[in-house]
This record gives sequence, structure tokens and C-alpha cells, in this order.
Amino acid sequence: MRTGPTPSKRRASRSASSGERLSLVPAPLLDKLRAVVGGGHVLSGVELSPYVVDGRTPEAAVFPATVDEVAAVVSLAAEAGLPLVPWGGGTAAAVGVPPTRAGLVLGLSRLRAIVEHEPGDLTVTAQAGVILSELQAALNARGQWLSLDPPDADRATLGGVLAANASGPRRHLYGTARDLLIGVTVVTADGSVVRGGGRVVKNVAGYDLPKLFIGSYGTLGVIVEATLKLRPRPDDERLVAVRFERLKDAGTAVRAILASDLIPNAVDLVDAVAARAVGIDAAPAALLIGFDGLREQIDWQIAELGSVVRPYGGQAPTAVPAGVWTGLARAAQAAFETPAAVMTLSVLPSLVADTMEQGANSARQRGLGTAWCAHAGVGLVTGAVRAEGQRQDPAMLATVLAEWRAAARAGGGHASIRWAPLAVKTALPVWDDAGPAGRIMQRIKAEVDPQNILNPGRFAAGI
Amino acid sequence: MTSMSSERKSALRRELETIVGVGGVLSDPEELLVYESDGLTLFRALADFVVFPRSADDVAAVVKLANRERVPFVARGAGTGLSGGCLPAEGGLVLSLMRMNRVLEVDYDNHIAVVEPGLVNLHLSWAVGPRGYYYAPDPSSQQACTIGGNIANNSGGPHTLKYGVTVNHVLGLEVVMPDGEIVWLGGRTRDALGYDLTGLFVGSEGTFGIATKIVVRIMRKPQAVKTVLAVFDRVEHASAAVSAIIARGLVPAAVEMIDQLTIEAVEDAFGCGYPRDAAAALLIELDGLAVGMEAQAERIVAACRDSGAREVRTAADEAERQLLWKGRKSAFGAYGRVSPAYMVMDGVIPRTRLPYVLGRVNEIVAAHGLRVGNVFHAGDGNLHPNILYDPRKPGEEARVVEAGAAIMKVCAEVGGSISGEHGIGLEKSDFMPFIFSAADLAFMQKVKVAFNPTGLCNPGKVFPTKKSCVEAGPVAYRPHAIEAQGLAQRF
Amino acid sequence: MPHPTAETALTPGTALQLHGLSVEGVNQCVHCGLCLAYCPTFSELGTEMDSPRGRIFLIKSLAEGRIGLTDSTVEHLSLCLDCRACETVCPAGVPYGRLIEAAKAEIERTRPGGLLRRAFRWANFGLLLGRPRALAAAAAALRFYQAAGVQRFVRRTGLVRLLPGTLPAWEALLPTVPRASERAPLSPYTPAEGPRRGRVAVLTGCVQAVAFGAHNRATARVLARNGWDVVAPPEQGCCGALNAHGGDHARALDMARQTIDVFERADVEAVVVNTSGCGAHMKAYGALLAADPAYAERARRFAASVRDLSEFLATEPLRGPLTAMPLTVTYHDPCHVVHGQKIRSAPRQLLAQLPGLRVVDLPESDWCCGSAGIYNLTQPDMAARLLRRKVRHVISTGAEAVVTANPGCILQIQQGLREVGSPIKVLHLVELLDRAYGGA
Repeated sequence: MRTGPTPSKRRASRSASSGERLSLVPAPLLDKLRAVVGGGHVLSGVELSPYVVDGRTPEAAVFPATVDEVAAVVSLAAEAGLPLVPWGGGTAAAVGVPPTRAGLVLGLSRLRAIVEHEPGDLTVTAQAGVILSELQAALNARGQWLSLDPPDADRATLGGVLAANASGPRRHLYGTARDLLIGVTVVTADGSVVRGGGRVVKNVAGYDLPKLFIGSYGTLGVIVEATLKLRPRPDDERLVAVRFERLKDAGTAVRAILASDLIPNAVDLVDAVAARAVGIDAAPAALLIGFDGLREQIDWQIAELGSVVRPYGGQAPTAVPAGVWTGLARAAQAAFETPAAVMTLSVLPSLVADTMEQGANSARQRGLGTAWCAHAGVGLVTGAVRAEGQRQDPAMLATVLAEWRAAARAGGGHASIRWAPLAVKTALPVWDDAGPAGRIMQRIKAEVDPQNILNPGRFAAGI
Repeated sequence: MTSMSSERKSALRRELETIVGVGGVLSDPEELLVYESDGLTLFRALADFVVFPRSADDVAAVVKLANRERVPFVARGAGTGLSGGCLPAEGGLVLSLMRMNRVLEVDYDNHIAVVEPGLVNLHLSWAVGPRGYYYAPDPSSQQACTIGGNIANNSGGPHTLKYGVTVNHVLGLEVVMPDGEIVWLGGRTRDALGYDLTGLFVGSEGTFGIATKIVVRIMRKPQAVKTVLAVFDRVEHASAAVSAIIARGLVPAAVEMIDQLTIEAVEDAFGCGYPRDAAAALLIELDGLAVGMEAQAERIVAACRDSGAREVRTAADEAERQLLWKGRKSAFGAYGRVSPAYMVMDGVIPRTRLPYVLGRVNEIVAAHGLRVGNVFHAGDGNLHPNILYDPRKPGEEARVVEAGAAIMKVCAEVGGSISGEHGIGLEKSDFMPFIFSAADLAFMQKVKVAFNPTGLCNPGKVFPTKKSCVEAGPVAYRPHAIEAQGLAQRF
Repeated sequence: MPHPTAETALTPGTALQLHGLSVEGVNQCVHCGLCLAYCPTFSELGTEMDSPRGRIFLIKSLAEGRIGLTDSTVEHLSLCLDCRACETVCPAGVPYGRLIEAAKAEIERTRPGGLLRRAFRWANFGLLLGRPRALAAAAAALRFYQAAGVQRFVRRTGLVRLLPGTLPAWEALLPTVPRASERAPLSPYTPAEGPRRGRVAVLTGCVQAVAFGAHNRATARVLARNGWDVVAPPEQGCCGALNAHGGDHARALDMARQTIDVFERADVEAVVVNTSGCGAHMKAYGALLAADPAYAERARRFAASVRDLSEFLATEPLRGPLTAMPLTVTYHDPCHVVHGQKIRSAPRQLLAQLPGLRVVDLPESDWCCGSAGIYNLTQPDMAARLLRRKVRHVISTGAEAVVTANPGCILQIQQGLREVGSPIKVLHLVELLDRAYGGA
């Protein structure tokens, strides 16, 4: 998958493979777009293959270089009633309801400047197209970091991470984008540039717009710049594994860890399949626990961890290579070369182990294998179903996923499809039911994007 | 007050009484009088009724009645707010939530509690304290302010440097919408489904509806705490020390700064052990594991010394620690000993601009012939210049307001904000254009319309507005100082 | 558009007064609201007018002429316990006690109420409290009422409920009057035992002397055991605390003058008080009589010599030997000791010195029990609510006895415990000390 723009051909072209739509962007509009961003930054035809999602090819892809250009592109699209799909690194492009009309991909990768990093203030302002790992490298050079560790950091962009509310294992201690984003600049559906929040870590002036845009999947505006809180890099960090003979015991051990004086920065629970995916051998389950801080603090905590988990059958903590960190958030997904489906379930921490176990059981009953991982301390569970050749009956998969969802809801949580083939996504709602709150969300959407051009139909509550 | 005929008033009163009971409605002028202000006595507005709902259903019924009668309404907690946020700016109903004050449920395994909005912030920590938990957002008024009020203002406090503000500790809200519908935003799990409406509601200053149940995160009490007091002969040194601490890789739980005038007032009130002749003092708190705390404290001491501290001391025991904090938390009230009134300002600036801004604040206040005491959350640049004045002296109030506006402009100039935690409310709605463009404000208005299309829910707040019956003495309308100077726009 | 306001209708410089007493203290209130969480009436009712901040605002508005003394204003001000818990927490140092007393005095002046109420107040303040002999006679009558079985009859048959107004509540609170020998006045002189430290006087009180003469005797013994000559001037009367708190200002001033006269003659190093309300009130004599040129300086000097029994005894370790008492107790802080005099650790220090005693913390130990002088007679509903709250906390401690230092509190808490059938005893601090010394 490519992430950046490629040299383009100058004419609107037919898509290469069969069954896909022809480009419907009228030539005059394409010309106007080229006038805004430069001819080389409007893609069409076969250049669009990296931007195919759920079998839909976009009508064109545009790559502005500045906020003004973004605004101009959005205005043009609004004028033409052309749907827009903001695009960072594409790592979450397949999340959501497949669009009915593919529309215009609005690539943010050319907005990749770090606008300001003030170490004394522990804040950074960067454009949306900055690759997360590059941002981290720049911050690390000054002894700081953005405490956000979603998967695919070498491809995901800052804007995309925010729009998808992507997170990783260290969210256990450091929270998610919601706890880090202090200011955001977006281009709204009418082409205006709107700022919410500010550049200071405490700010209650006006409504908390940054919160609105996090996880909104580009449906309310195109994020072009963000200001975030930083942290000093810890002196040291270590990851250990604690193996269990029963998944249930691992769940109980998590409760004990949360009630103890330990301050882990990650508490992940993996089953045997997911463990293998990150290079650890642990059957049937293991806890992967991270600590950071001064060396003496880490040493003390690892020893203490051993005492805390022992009554629950936890074996002595063993060191785990640092490389395991990067695979943790996607352990379940990565367990299978191509999963049949992936679901994320948001449940109470005390129900994590049960959710994993019941989910595995209900799939197994239908002859389906699964892999499970969870940020156990915060209740975020990911379950992946193994593709079994002709067992990949969409109706069957949908039933299993529906059961998983029902179990999550029974515990006061919710579950949404992270990834699944088109057939499954049409058999089962991608997003869980937002209930009456969904109506409020719809009203917000209707107010700020009355024409419904930003990722129409992609999101929850029918947005 | 709205202009309501006495027949209509009586009829409304009777209807309200059928909802909340006979003891739950106030309409006598003397009783309404005590509800005309919150903690900021500069502004007053009289309600037509104050009602005391006991449940979400009561709140919903009152709100529906208000909608039917086209009467504005606003919720009120303990009334300790400092921006006039719970004033009935256009008259109508004040819903006091003080009788909805229970801890409904605590789930220690999952570290959450469900509480009613009238619960006093500190009482929540007391309730979960015996099991070793606490509720982290700790505004200085936490002995009196309520969780509901904290939700409205996204309240902070000294420990938010490390632990975040209210919104970072709220998972879900049961809300009575401005049209009277009861809706749950968010829930008990950590990830929102769809838009983060909980995050949006927190800090919306009561303009999006009324929260009737709040799901909060509770946290384990830290294993150890260390409180350090550093004393400086120059304010600039104190500000520099703050940046130096962070540069050494430390995020203390709190870094608070107080100036000399404040120290004197606090020492008069409580004798907390702050040295009276210091130009500024930094109160720094570390918390976390006992292991390693000494090493971290040493780094802090070194950072302070390197920045020119003349004295650094650590609280010897819990009693001394409480006393040091008591001084800081009661500072606002202690000003009452040195001045009949004071105006608490609330601004935020990038930490690194602290010395410059402090200097400007002192200049501005002196230029207006007033005095100022500075107390603030230096760790995150949230400053509270407290302008001391005597309301009985003619012209003094106007100068206070002018000085306040000038200070807000400075905050905006250096890339800061006009409110760190007290909210915009009534007090600062005219200053919004200092930091937000017309497009920004228009977008926020659209979001508000999605929640509150009729505008009946807490009108006159956050956005500059013309209409209100907030008192101004004998004259009903007087252009605000900054408006007269052409510095503010109107909606 | 919000506008800043002029806060007062008066010309600047006018001193704020009610009933001729200064209420300038209202201007120290900065409206921060910290007092709300510590006010018992606000905690029960949730209404701003029943909080210190709200009452200060009402008093200020009254003094400025913004409002008149309407029914609702009178009600909210009258509901104030005058426990002064708000003063303890107020960072601006608002002298709330003085403000509410001025307000109550003003209420008495302009709205004395109906016939029954006026009669009651005259009987109470004018007749009984001011005159020891009248009080003694009333006590004798009450003794007869109780000892002859009349009270038992009245209560058991429910006749008591037929009494008008607040008399049933009044009746329930009547102390058990001991026999005549127990009601004899305290010996005018009790010599020190062991090495002599000095000479002090004891206030014998009014209700205290009648109902709890035993406590006065215990006080004298305990002080004597610790090396003090104890004088109890027989001509002393009531200190006037109840009058002042109840708005009977003029008589309160007279009683203060008389009290100062009596104790000046006694020529002692300290005037030791075992009843919290009296101690707090006498320590404020300086402010009370500040406007009287003949007494101002004498009042200040007298006030400076007043000591609560606990603070007096806690300055030195208790002299031994002390007998062990295996008892679990909890301590209730009388408002006018903990808030009125800021004495919190002294009683606990004393209890800690008693061998064998186990002391359990009382939740909300410094919250008013509802007695508040005669509050439990004038505001029986609120007093009952607060009493129930207090009793709940006492029972939750698992203690065998609750210790305190004020006759009003003792009567109130006794009644509350009796109502729920609890066997927990209520003891005066000095009783425990006395027992440790072997008693009478």
C-alpha cells in the first residue's frame, strides 16, 4: 500500500479492474482541483488503487499542501456536492460502513510539518499529515514523547489517529487522545477553518471541540492541525509476561493488580493465539505488563507484581523483548494472515476475561477459531476470527459477531466491527446501536455538515 | 426576573409544587435574593423561582414545563462558581440540585462510581476513602462545590497537572436535555460509541442540558506523597523553576505558586508556615510509589536551587502537609481579610511565558490603582490574579473590570486562553473574540443548537449576547467597558 | 449583557448595624461558599438561605434596608443554630456568631411574636435564668413532678401531646432533677490537694447547677487534685449566654456586668468553666461590653481570664494516680468549645491520659447535636433531625459511652439515645476524670 501521491496522468480515467465505478468527477471540477493543489497532486485511474476500500474505488484523490488549500478543496467539493473522504495513512480506512458513493479522497500527507514544539510547555503543534513515528522521533530528540502508542505508528498520521481515536497498550496509564489533545484546527464542511481548544494544557473557554473531533472519523470536519500535551520520556521501561493456566485466573489477577499500589503503564491480556502473534509462547493466556520510571521503581514493581499475581496462579514474571510492544495492540488481528472478521468490544475491566472466553466459545461452537487480546485494565477487547476457507459464511460470521455484541451489551458495554468483508458488514450493523444519544449525534452532524459531504454514511447512528 | 404577571406566577408556582412538592419551590423575594449571585458577587440576576428537584424525573418535568411556558432555566449546585454561570441571566427558573446529593453506587473492581450532581466533590473522596480510593479532580473549593458544577465547568484544581481535569474522569452522564428528554451520554466503559458527547457536555457550562447522574472514575490513593515548599526572592526565579522541574523529566502531581500578598493573607488566616517575606513560594507535590520518591524529590530540590530558591523544605509529616495545602486552598477566602472584595481572574498561558505575563499583570493592576494577589496552578500555566478592591468606593468596580479585560488580552496575546477552569459564564462572554474567530464561534453555536435549539437552557452564557436582565444598578443597560472601546463583537 | 453592580443602596461609609450592634462583619464575606458544607442546617435543607453565606447575605440586606424582616427571613435566621462551625472553616474570618446574634436581637425587638411565645421567653430569660432562687424553686417543683410519678404518668398516657406549641418537646427534654441534697450549691471553697499551684474560680452555671450539680462537684475535686484552690462564689448568677444567643440582649448585658463584678471580687488566676456555651460567651465579654465605658476594660480583662476546663487541665499532665477504666468511649465536641473557642485537641489529650480507656473517633464529632441553647425548644423539628444524625453516628462507633462537656448536649443526646432504646451512656468529661481519681 502506498501512502503518498504519485506522479499523475492528466486525464480522468477509467478504473482498471472490473465491477468498479467509473470516475464521476466532472472534468471542470478536476481542473479546479488541480488549480488549487497543483496538477501533480490530483490522482485518478490506476493511481487510485491504494485508496480502494471495501471494493469501492474513489473518484479521485487530492493532496493539498496547506490549510488554505484544504479549505479550497473542501469548498469546491461542497459546491459540487461531492462526498469527501479525509485520508491520512489509510490504516483505519476500512473501518466503518462502506460508503454508497466513494467520492473524493482528501489526502493530508503533504501537511506534515511540526509547527511548534516547546519542551518547556510540554506541548507540540503539528499538522495532521505528520506520521506518528516521525513525530515521536522529533519529540524524543528533546527528551519528550506523545503518550499515544497506537499500532502502525510508522504509517498512521496524527490526524488519522485522532479521527479514529486509535490507541495502544500504554493507554492504561496515559489515557487516549481525549486526554492529550488540547487544540485542534479543522476545515469544516463549508470550507471554513475552525479552531477549538488552544495551545495551553488547561482550557475551558468555549465548548470542548477537540473532544468532538476525536473518533469522529472525519464526519464533522477535516482535521488539519492539532496541539497535544506531552510528557518527559521516562528514564526506563520494561515489559514482562505473567503466564496463567486459566484465562479466568488472569482476569482475576487483573483485578488484584488494579487494586494494588502498582502503577503499570500497560496491562494487556492475550490468549495463546494472540500471544504467538507477538512472539510469546503462552498457553492458554498471559498478562503482558509494562512499567516505566526510575530503574529502582521498575525493579520494585516487578517483584511486587509477582506477589500480587501468585495467589491467582500467575507464574513468575519474565522479561519480554521490547519489540513486543509494537505488536501488542494488534495482536489478535495479527494472529491470522487474513482474519475473517475483527471486532472491538468495550466492556468493564472486570468482564474482560469472561468476554474473551465466551467469545471464543461461541465461535468454537460453530467451528471457528479465534484470537483474543485486550487492554484489560481499561476494558478494550479485540477478537479476531480465523478465516477457514469455505467456513467463511457471512451469515455465520454475522451470527457469531452478533453474539459477541450481545454479550458486550449485557455487561453495559458495546461492540463494533473493526474489520470484516463487505458481505459481513452488510449482514450486521458495523457500529453498535447508539441509542437515543444517536439522535443528538445526528443533530450535530446535520448542523455542521448539512449537505452530508464528509464521509457520508460511514459512521455510527447512520451518520 | 422575567416580566410575569402575578396570576401566571401563582399558576406556575402551583404547577411546580405538584412536581417537586410544596417545600421545593421558592418565590419570596428575600429567598430569591440569596440566589442572585454565585461566588462572584459582581453580577446579580434574580430568578422567578428556585426549585429543588429530587430526581431526574423531577428535573425532566420541570424542564418540560419550562419549555411549554417558554421560560428560561438554569441548574445550580453550591453556587461557588466564579463566572456567574448559574445566574438566571434572563430570569426564569433556577433548579437547585442540592437535594440530589447521593453516592448511588461504587464499583471498586472497575474503579467507577455513580453519583448525583449535588454531591459535594470532597464528599465523594470521603465516601471511597475508607477503601483506599479517591476522586482526583480537586478544585480549591472542593469542600463546598458539587460534582454537577464540576461537570458544567470542567473544573480543575492543583492536581490536574498530573491527573487531568474533570472530563478525564467522567465516563458517562445521564442528562435531562433542554427539551426535557432523559438521555444517557456515554456509559460505564472507557470508550465512547460514536461522538464523545460526554466529553463535549463536560465544560458546556449548563447550556447543553442538566446532568442528573454522573459516572466518574475513581483512583487508588497514591502509595506515597511528598510536599516541597520552595521560597524565592524574585518571582521570575519561581517561574523559571517550574520549567526547570519539567526539564528534569518530572511531572509532579501539583505545582502551585503564591505571591507575597497572598502569603500574608493566608498566614493571617491560618498560620500555615509560609515565610512572610518571600516574593513567591512554590508548593510542589509529588505522588506515586514510595520507591524512588526520594530521588525524584532531590531532582525537584535541585531544580529549585538552580533557579535561585533561597530555601527549600519538605513537609515533615501529614499534618504539616495538610497545613501547607490548607493555606493554598483557602487563599481566595483569605483575601477577605485584606480587602472587602476581590475579583478572581482566571487565565491560562503557556508555562514558559509566566514571568512575562506576571510582570504585565502587576503593571496593569498598578496602573489602575489597585492591588493584586496571585495564586495559581503554575504547573499548567493557569493563573488567578485576584484583584483586590472596595466596592463601596466609587469607580473602583469599573477599574477592576477594565483591569480584568486587559489581563485577558495579555493571556490571549501570548497564545493562552481566557479561562483555565472557571468557565466563561457571564463574566467573560464578551472576551471570547479575544481567542476565537467568528468562524470558531459560529461552529460552537451550531453545536449548541444541536443540543439546545430553543435557547432556553441557561441563556446568556458563554457567547456574547445583548439580552439579559442582569442588574446594573438603576440603569437597565450600560455598555460594557470593552464594548465601549470597540474591542468586543456581539452576536 | 452582564454588568457590574453597585452592591449597596446606602451611601458609602455608612456603618452597617442591626439593633444598634455592628454587623460590618458581613463585608468580610467574599461569598466563597466554603461554609456551606459545614453548616448542619444547609446540609439538611439544601437551601441557600439556610446556609451561613445565605444568612450573612440576608443580614447584610437587612442592614442595608434592601429587605424587611418578613416571615421567611425570620424563619431562615431563626433556624441558625449559632453553632459557629462556619467560623472554623471561613478563610475570611467573618465573625458570624456576632452577626447572627445581632440579627436575633433585631428580630426580638421588631417581631416578638405571639402571647405564648412572649410568655415563654419572659419565664425563661427574665424569670428563671436571671434569678438563681427562682430557678431553684422551679427545680424543686420539677423534682416533685418527677419523683411523685406525675411525669411518668403524663408521658405514658400521652397527655403530654395535648400540651400546646413546643411544650411537648420541652417536656421531653426536661432533665431528671436529682434530690435536694444533690442540688445544693457547690461548696464556696475547696482547698488544693498536694503541692499548690494557685487559685481558680468555677462558674457553677444555671441549668448545670440544678440538673448536674454532680458535675460541678466533680470539677472542684478534679481541680483540687491537680493542685488548685477552687472557689465557687455563691452569689454568682447566670452568665447570660442563653439570653444573648436568644436575642435577649439587654438582660444579657446586665448579667455580664453582674458576673464580672462577682468574679473580680473572687480574685483568682482563672475562671474555669465546665459548660461550653458559658465559656465561649464569657470569653466574648470584651466585645459584648465594648461600648460600656465603665466595664469595657474590666470585661476584657475578665474575658482573658476565662478558661474552658479541658484547656485548663491540658496545660500540664494530669497528676496521678489515675485508676484504670476499661471503657470504650467516643467524644462529641460541643459547638461552643470546638468552634466558639477553637479547642479541639485538649479534651482528647485528657482522655488519652486515662488508663484503660479506649477512644473511638466520632464521625462529624464537631457537628451540632441540635441542642444549641434552647434551640431544641424553639426549633424542635430541625433539632430532632440533627439529633437523629448525631445518634446514628454515636451508635456507629460501637462505644459504650459518648463523652462531652456541655449540659445541653448531654440532655439532648441522652434523649436521642433513649428514643432509640440504646444503652449507650452520656458522660461529662469531668465525670470520667473524677472517676479516674476515685470519685467522691
